Amino acid sequence: MAKALKINKNTEQGILEFLRFLLENNKVKGVFTLKKISKDGAVAYSLITNPDELNDAVPFYPLMPVNGGKLLSRFTLKGSAKKPVVAVVKPCELRGFVELIKREQGSLENLFIISFTCGGVYPLKMAVDGTIEKNLSKYWDTVKKGEISADLRSACRGCTEFTPYTADITFDLIGNNDLDKKCVVFLNTKKGEEFAKGMKGEFLNKELDRKELEKLKSKREVEKKKLFDDIEVKEKGIDGLIEIFGKCIGCHGCSKVCPICYCKLCGFESSDFEYRPSNYEADFRKRGGIRVPPRTLFYHLGRLDHISISCVGCGSCEDVCPVDIPISIIFKKVGESVQKMFDYIPGKNVEEDIPLITFKEEEFAEVEE
Amino acid sequence: MNESKGAVIPVKSSIKKTIIDLLEKAVDKGVFDAVVIPLRVPAGDSFAYVLVKDKSLLKDAFPLPPVMFIQGAKAVSSVTRLGEGNMKIAAIMRPCEIRTALELAKLGQTNLENMTLISIDCPGVLPTSDFLSDPEKSMKLFDAAVKNWDDKIMRPVCQICDKSSMVSGDLHIGTLGAKKDTFFIISNSQKGNDVMDKLGIALKENIGSWQAKVKNISEEKKKKRNKAHKDLKSKIGGIDNLLDTFSQCINCHNCMRVCPVCFCRLCYFDSDKVKHLSEDYLQRAESKGSIRFLPDTTLFQMGRMMHMSLSCVSCGACEDVCPVSIPVAQIFSMVADETQGLFDYVSGRSLDEPIPLIAYKEEELHEMEDANG
Repeated sequence: MAKALKINKNTEQGILEFLRFLLENNKVKGVFTLKKISKDGAVAYSLITNPDELNDAVPFYPLMPVNGGKLLSRFTLKGSAKKPVVAVVKPCELRGFVELIKREQGSLENLFIISFTCGGVYPLKMAVDGTIEKNLSKYWDTVKKGEISADLRSACRGCTEFTPYTADITFDLIGNNDLDKKCVVFLNTKKGEEFAKGMKGEFLNKELDRKELEKLKSKREVEKKKLFDDIEVKEKGIDGLIEIFGKCIGCHGCSKVCPICYCKLCGFESSDFEYRPSNYEADFRKRGGIRVPPRTLFYHLGRLDHISISCVGCGSCEDVCPVDIPISIIFKKVGESVQKMFDYIPGKNVEEDIPLITFKEEEFAEVEE
Repeated sequence: MNESKGAVIPVKSSIKKTIIDLLEKAVDKGVFDAVVIPLRVPAGDSFAYVLVKDKSLLKDAFPLPPVMFIQGAKAVSSVTRLGEGNMKIAAIMRPCEIRTALELAKLGQTNLENMTLISIDCPGVLPTSDFLSDPEKSMKLFDAAVKNWDDKIMRPVCQICDKSSMVSGDLHIGTLGAKKDTFFIISNSQKGNDVMDKLGIALKENIGSWQAKVKNISEEKKKKRNKAHKDLKSKIGGIDNLLDTFSQCINCHNCMRVCPVCFCRLCYFDSDKVKHLSEDYLQRAESKGSIRFLPDTTLFQMGRMMHMSLSCVSCGACEDVCPVSIPVAQIFSMVADETQGLFDYVSGRSLDEPIPLIAYKEEELHEMEDANG
């Protein structure tokens, strides 16, 4: 039986209480979580060291300003902290971070990870115009009922991986009718148990209720299929791709916010990919006109090639696309099909190698055939 | 250059068609080998710059599309950055795009040797998201706005643009102040004169009516611009307001990536220089109780301003791609007017004017001496 801790506060207060307990008792040096940072209520990831600052923390706020996994990579890239830091991140952010660790872009050392069963997040636009604030009570209602909130990021509406795999501690939100009354925390690892030691509350032997999670998962499966089918119709061969990506302006914002795209300088922005006058002249032997700058579609295919095995479907890319290309669904769809081939779930297990960097002899034989 | 003379071109079925006919003629006569011009993409939901060699493609071209998906100087730079090549190329773009091409030439990022830059009177462009919400309707709205030279539906920075007819390329197509069913072609360089000469079009007509109309519009816009900047300054002035203004910024750097002036392959703010030890982050957090992570969001904006405001042409590309709707082009245009004003410099006005911070004047050194006693 896994261990659990029941805190006699509502879930929102419960996590703040827990984070405060960790800071005040010197169990951690800092808290990485979402926080309100301005008078107009902008929410951003923050690194908090003073317990008083937790008053403005909003760990479960349904927004992902930046994929937290990408940020944890930045935090640990040049070496871990000397003392533990606790991070509250969404399951897909944690998975993104794990994929980055596999690529030597971060470390779990001295990081204590809290995650939760995630109801999804709203698009950035809705944070800016204040709709999230207005929607909050409705959002939590649907989370309690284990339903899909309307207006979520499309990637979230079709997300079936909303339960964290490798968190030290999991807060139970989905299908939890008692969110407003009590707070149940699952201590998944030894680290989790140690950190929770001394916290006021009741320690129980209890497992995460998978029934409610399975129910939501099947609803999300239906939604995902709809989203994928919708893309498929449009995605017919090269013409279909040109149709979808024709409006791309080449800002590469999608790669910049992607938790998997960690390259300091993307190949598509490097001098290798720059056209010389001779390239243009050579192209003109084949066609009468060349889009400039060139290689609009090629960039997306290249990015798919590079990251689809590790795509966690967080939806950050689509949220920053200035021309509304349904890019997160395309990447998720391609990603899942590639991942299925290798029976791989990105970010599930930090020990598991990325399929494309491991060599299996029988795969070589498959290619021969 | 005889600046008060130009050509009056009779319009056949439409201005667009007439311009395209002229371009076709120029390609036929070998004046140009290729043309950089916006084409509508197959899905119809965007316009892309295309380097066109096969003149049959020109019939689908839009010399003045309703949107600016990609800033034209980026297209010009992509074609010429690594040398002039053998092709003589004409680029048809908006005045702010031409001005940027000139700035990029000064920064060594374009080679304009074989390039003829042709600008056109610009009524502004629609915000990209407005266009995308209904492309067909947007086309109609834009056409109507062009007729009345009405800027209400355009990008906010277009509404306060006082340089929408600025001639700094080789040739300019002037539609303002022209008699019915005609437009002007104005030459601004020897290269422009040569092109017109080869096309057999004389530059001998009076363009006074265009000049008067342009002066009128740009003075009016200048007033509007100054007022808008003043209002903006009172809203975002001071460090607290500034931090609030950029509080939603998610560090995606989209603004920098679409900025035609920000040409660095690897921005300082994406480099290792801004990647710190976790202990350093924690130390910073401790000094304030908490820090936003990543920190230095506003520093990026200020750094970018420092680097490029002297060359900023207020095209508005940055604001259009901001996922959290920060009025970044309006802010940058305000700062740009002030920094450029300090040096009596106008970005992209002329190739002959060096960018102030890369030109050295001896007396400026004395100014510094004086300032430090």
